[in-house]
Amino acid sequence: MPRLYTLLLHLYPARFREEYQGSMERLFRDEYREVDGFWQRAVLWLRVLADLAMSIPEQIGRELWLDLKHSMRVYGKRPLMAVLAVAALGLAIGASTGVFSVLNALLLRSLPFSKPERLVQLVNPVVTAGSGRAAFVRWSRHNSYLEDAATFSTSDMNVAGGRDALRVKVTESSSNLFQMLGVSPTAGRGFAADEDVFGHNAVAVISYGLWQQMFAGDPSAIGKTLHVNGSPVTVIGVAPAGFDYPQKTGIWLPTLFDFERVPKRGAFLFETIGRLKSGVSFDTANEFLKAEARRVRPGEEVKLVSLQNQLAGAVRQASWVLAGMTILVLLMAFANVAQLLLSRTSERRQEMAVRAALGASRARLRQQLMTEASVLTSMGALLGLLVAYWVSRMASSVAPAQLGTQRYSVMDWRVLAFAAALALVMGVAVGALPRLIATKKIRFGLLVMHAALALCLISSSLVMGRTFLGLIHANLGFRPANVVTLNVSLQGSRYLAGSGEWSYYSEALSRLRLVPGVTSAGAVSYLPLAMNMYMAFPFKLDSGQELSQVVVNSATQGYFQAMGTAFLAGGDFGSEPGVVVNAAFAESTRLGNAIVGRRLIAPWTKTPYRIIGLVATVRNAGPAGGGMAQIYFPIQGEPPPALTLVARVEGPAEEYLARCRDAVKMADSSVPIYDVKTLEQRLSDVLARPRFYTTATLFLAMLAVLLAAAGIFGTAAQSIAQRRQEMGIRMAIGASYGSIRSMMVRESLFPVVCGAGLGIGLSILSGRFLEHLLENASASGWMSVQAAGLLLITALAAAWSATGRVLKIDPIEVIRAE
Amino acid sequence: MPRKSDGERFLPLSLPIFHMLLSLSEGERHGYALKRAIAQRTDGKLNLGSGALYGSINKMLEEGFIEESDERPDSHLDDERRRYYRITALGRKVAAAETARLRSLVKMAELQLGIPEMA
Repeated sequence: MPRLYTLLLHLYPARFREEYQGSMERLFRDEYREVDGFWQRAVLWLRVLADLAMSIPEQIGRELWLDLKHSMRVYGKRPLMAVLAVAALGLAIGASTGVFSVLNALLLRSLPFSKPERLVQLVNPVVTAGSGRAAFVRWSRHNSYLEDAATFSTSDMNVAGGRDALRVKVTESSSNLFQMLGVSPTAGRGFAADEDVFGHNAVAVISYGLWQQMFAGDPSAIGKTLHVNGSPVTVIGVAPAGFDYPQKTGIWLPTLFDFERVPKRGAFLFETIGRLKSGVSFDTANEFLKAEARRVRPGEEVKLVSLQNQLAGAVRQASWVLAGMTILVLLMAFANVAQLLLSRTSERRQEMAVRAALGASRARLRQQLMTEASVLTSMGALLGLLVAYWVSRMASSVAPAQLGTQRYSVMDWRVLAFAAALALVMGVAVGALPRLIATKKIRFGLLVMHAALALCLISSSLVMGRTFLGLIHANLGFRPANVVTLNVSLQGSRYLAGSGEWSYYSEALSRLRLVPGVTSAGAVSYLPLAMNMYMAFPFKLDSGQELSQVVVNSATQGYFQAMGTAFLAGGDFGSEPGVVVNAAFAESTRLGNAIVGRRLIAPWTKTPYRIIGLVATVRNAGPAGGGMAQIYFPIQGEPPPALTLVARVEGPAEEYLARCRDAVKMADSSVPIYDVKTLEQRLSDVLARPRFYTTATLFLAMLAVLLAAAGIFGTAAQSIAQRRQEMGIRMAIGASYGSIRSMMVRESLFPVVCGAGLGIGLSILSGRFLEHLLENASASGWMSVQAAGLLLITALAAAWSATGRVLKIDPIEVIRAE
Repeated sequence: MPRKSDGERFLPLSLPIFHMLLSLSEGERHGYALKRAIAQRTDGKLNLGSGALYGSINKMLEEGFIEESDERPDSHLDDERRRYYRITALGRKVAAAETARLRSLVKMAELQLGIPEMA
């Protein structure tokens, strides 16, 4: 029994236990001897337990407070060291928590669907919406790998019904889309099973956002009529907030199998998604799908893609790069704080020795060190949360917008748990580690690793930064500054019925040209940077030369001037009938400027088109994409249902946005005008993702440089403290301050140089990896060398300033102390 | 405000500490004896557990009310491992100050409640 009591005494903090454990055990034995019988003993135990329950927490609090006070005194004497350690920890914990919250949103967090991991997208399946409703339903119920399948097609449409005409993403689907995803409407109802049948399908579910925008969240919206591209539909339900799959849809219609119902023009993509049968794994389902395709349509490539991967896509890969870099930074910070504490510990060896002599035990000293480390880590963690908040705010403002489905909050409990766990692990490890890494070899290895990691991070960020600069300075084929763009769409309006489209477009253009400050204006079917789908066809030159893939676009007179796209030969539309081609087209014919005046035969007509102009090649997809061979037809010939108006203005384009929109609105206020943006805004939207990754890597690399500098500084300072006597004696026998200082600098740079050698190898590897993962990235060994240079300069500066302490050594004092 | 004397700084004392100081003013004692003495003088009403006892001892040592004594009375009779404590000058001052504090408190209460002073 007294043994149990001794065990309980272990719950006391070290100092109190050392002081009183013996006396308390003795007292307990005395008391225990005095009682006998079961009940008396039970009463004694109850009293003892109540006493300990009161006393133990009191003593823990008391010693914790004493240790805290002592820690603050210790750090107060060396504020620089404390600030460095807290900053290193805070930044590392903060950066990793911030990146984790983005990763959490992109990768770990589930889609707003039920069991999203069982959802797949089918690429090129055997049966599609094009096979008809009966065939699709039969296939979706009777294949061997899917429980159910839904199909849909998404396009922009004009919607009238509220106060304004709007341009909205509309998804036409089979009736089971919501059911299959496991989503039920917040208001009203979803589609009934037979509502995708002809005659029943004049119904719509609207998104929560559209409900707010058009009806201010009024429940009476259910039952109202909307006109989608002029076709009337009744609102029957509202999707839950945050659900806008696919592609930020605003309206869902069950009209996929009755595709003519809602009038539209252009090219459409039918997509099929499915839910895996229970018990069928992803790989098995993929095999089944391939076997099915081999039977029906041999030779065609089919596959399953997990919907989660599909939605995260490229973002996912780049996010793993970021996660990897964050872990490296975390490792560095960890090594760093351990170094700093270690240097503290060895400088305080004397203090510790005195305290040990005064009777403090190892347990007691360990408790003190742990408390000191925990003070640092918890302060670091607090700072880290602030940094994390900032990082994830930054991430969500510039991060990948294509994940519209995942409206994520910046901080959720998982992120907080991650931060807390990180702080805890770091606190315990850092407190326990100094004794572990006290051997010289391990510490040397730590420094080498430190330098190598820093170099790897710096050179990765150089690669990313240079790639980004390349994107910014890429020749786009147009001049994005001082240009206003506006989209208009005539779908569902009165113009589509006859041939009135051109009359509207020319009216809108002439009003735009009248705006004071507009120097030129034009229109185009497919604006560069707008992420449109492009249509390409084979063409034939009058010489008989065939050109397989030529992108088709159409534009008006003045468009090229407004965009700042140069004419290399020939002239604009209007001077004579004909088409304009770009330089990439001319190159593919090997005719150069002589292409002007030749004739082209399109696959759809026998009448040849005369080539009247040659313009510079435009990168349609933005700086990351290449230029494609392209033909521009005059818009007048066959006006599209929607196009983009472009105006070049004098002065900042932002100031013209409202004026240009109002001018176009005057042409006909019932025509929706949308995406009124400057061309520079569109460019920066395209660059948002690379900018985010570049900013993040630069931030991590700067952190790495800081950590490396702090680590080198700490180590150098520590070795000076340890070798005071040696240096004092050297000075006494004639060594100069300068020679001793440069010896110390050389010594602290040695592990950095070793690390840099290792790091150049590592960074060449990581450069390969980056090239592989990110489009347009190009790494070279030269960048590793630059990174090494940067690291060495930083190291030199840190070592030089740390060795300043040598000057404070007074050789006489040192020798006297001997 | 008048400056507080040395003893008054620590007031009021907790009941166990007051009893322990009173008990030690009679002579040096070890922990267990102290506990027994307090239980006796309070008719068993104040029976300190070991945690409370040594917690208070620890506090009094830190404040300087008591100190560990080096000489062991009856050391031949007793186990050498037992630690004896004795009251310091400061401890006496504090106990006296607490007594004065209690006295004035009692006086005030008697006046208030009309209880006749004891002869």
